[in-house]
Amino acid sequence: MTNHLNDFSSGSVNWRKTLHQNNRRTIMIILLFFTIYCSLGLLVDTYIVSERYPDAPLSTILHALVTLQVFPLATTVMVVIAAISLFITYAFADQLMLLGTDYHEINPATAQTPAEKRLYNVVEEMQIAAGLRYMPKVYIINADYMNAFASGFSERSAMIAITRGLMDKLDRDELQAVMAHELSHIRHMDIKLTLTATLLANLTVIVLDILFRSTIYSHRSGGNRSRNNLTVIILVLRFLLPIINIALLLYLSRTRELMADAGSVELTRSNEPLARALIKISDDHSQHQDTYREAYQKTAHESVRREAYIFDPMEAGIKNISSFNDMFSTHPSLEKRLEALGYKRKS
Amino acid sequence: MSLVILLLLVGIVAFVIITYNRLIAQIEAVRNNAKQIDIQLDRRFKVFESLINVVKKYMDYEQTTLKDVVGLRSQAVTAHASGNEPARIEAENKISKIAGGLNIMFEQYPDLKANQNCMQLQEEIVSTENKLAFSKQSYNDSIEIYNANKKSFPANFIVSGFKAKLDIDFPYWQLSTAQVAEQESYTVKL
Repeated sequence: MTNHLNDFSSGSVNWRKTLHQNNRRTIMIILLFFTIYCSLGLLVDTYIVSERYPDAPLSTILHALVTLQVFPLATTVMVVIAAISLFITYAFADQLMLLGTDYHEINPATAQTPAEKRLYNVVEEMQIAAGLRYMPKVYIINADYMNAFASGFSERSAMIAITRGLMDKLDRDELQAVMAHELSHIRHMDIKLTLTATLLANLTVIVLDILFRSTIYSHRSGGNRSRNNLTVIILVLRFLLPIINIALLLYLSRTRELMADAGSVELTRSNEPLARALIKISDDHSQHQDTYREAYQKTAHESVRREAYIFDPMEAGIKNISSFNDMFSTHPSLEKRLEALGYKRKS
Repeated sequence: MSLVILLLLVGIVAFVIITYNRLIAQIEAVRNNAKQIDIQLDRRFKVFESLINVVKKYMDYEQTTLKDVVGLRSQAVTAHASGNEPARIEAENKISKIAGGLNIMFEQYPDLKANQNCMQLQEEIVSTENKLAFSKQSYNDSIEIYNANKKSFPANFIVSGFKAKLDIDFPYWQLSTAQVAEQESYTVKL
């Protein structure tokens, strides 16, 4: 199915409102993740303490932990572990994103073709518009499909990568809109945010798993009612929490995607080029489904980039890419994104 | 009771410090963005200089147009040095107008159009004008953020406490009313 901008009625977009709204959503989600993580810590503490005081009811133990009458050791340890692993990830994950692709960096000295020069100029223009202090590194990935992503944990280490297909097939305005989208990801620190959330989500699952195993293998003390209640809670959580995590992470990723779209409008002060570019990318993917599937398939570690791409290949029905193992979309649908940009499909 | 008052005081002091520092950072961002406009104006002139060198061989008539650019630029520089901002903005805007017509002029010279250097320069002209426009936009955006913060409640109390440091009136970059009217009625004559 191919689309055309004419199929949509155009309107304007209040990017200030979109940015504000999605920012609030993000804060809620991150707070929720921290709350879940700390609550899980308290659960572990309760579990440990209930061993020492078999007769104490759960509410009493919890109250004692929250008011620090009993020191919540497990919670503290868990928070420290989270802090350390976040620090390590920030320090080392910078180059992870280009894993498996055939890429090269461009700068004014090495830009060979006019197209490369134009790309660098466009990024520079957007950097000025965004008021970023450092020029992000620009990489070109040698691939025919149209896609782009941004990465980096600070303005200084930021990078943008775009495929040759995208560079060649978009006109100057569209390229500018897409680059503005990517720079907005950098400006909004989305990479850091998503990584933090993912890490916390993974840690909760790991901790829960350890807890679950220890409840199974610890010998049953039949008389301990608090313990038995806890076991039920842990059992339920073990199956529920991973689902909640995925739902939250996907919601976060979609929210940030809409925010980057709004940021692109903020920088270019126009919603039309981005809408045109999104439609073009989507159409191009559905037209060349088979060849692109092969191309995506051939590049290793495609899953590390999936969330970061401006366009999710699965949107265009490119499924069964072996490294994409879940069935949920990390991006809002094309329709939703266009609607947020002020373009409604004519009925 | 005294603990509550103490905590309240600490909270207020912390709020004042945070607001103060934030406003200072925003003022500096506005200043930096204002300088960015200067940088882009300067860059534009350099691009035009190299343009003149390439075009010289191909067209004589346009050389005078480009000479106008050099003249306007020196006007702008002297106006800037003597602090006459309106005159400077006017001169720079005239250069922008010439720049807009340059790419159309290129079309009339097939030799020139085929010249590799010239094709690159065309891209440079577009990019240069864009960079200039975006630096103005970025300047205005930073003023918006600063003004909104400065005038919002309760930050405005803190601003009135440190008026000399925090209350600075930055004018938005804009065209004069006469220029707006002129641009509004402007149409391309083919």
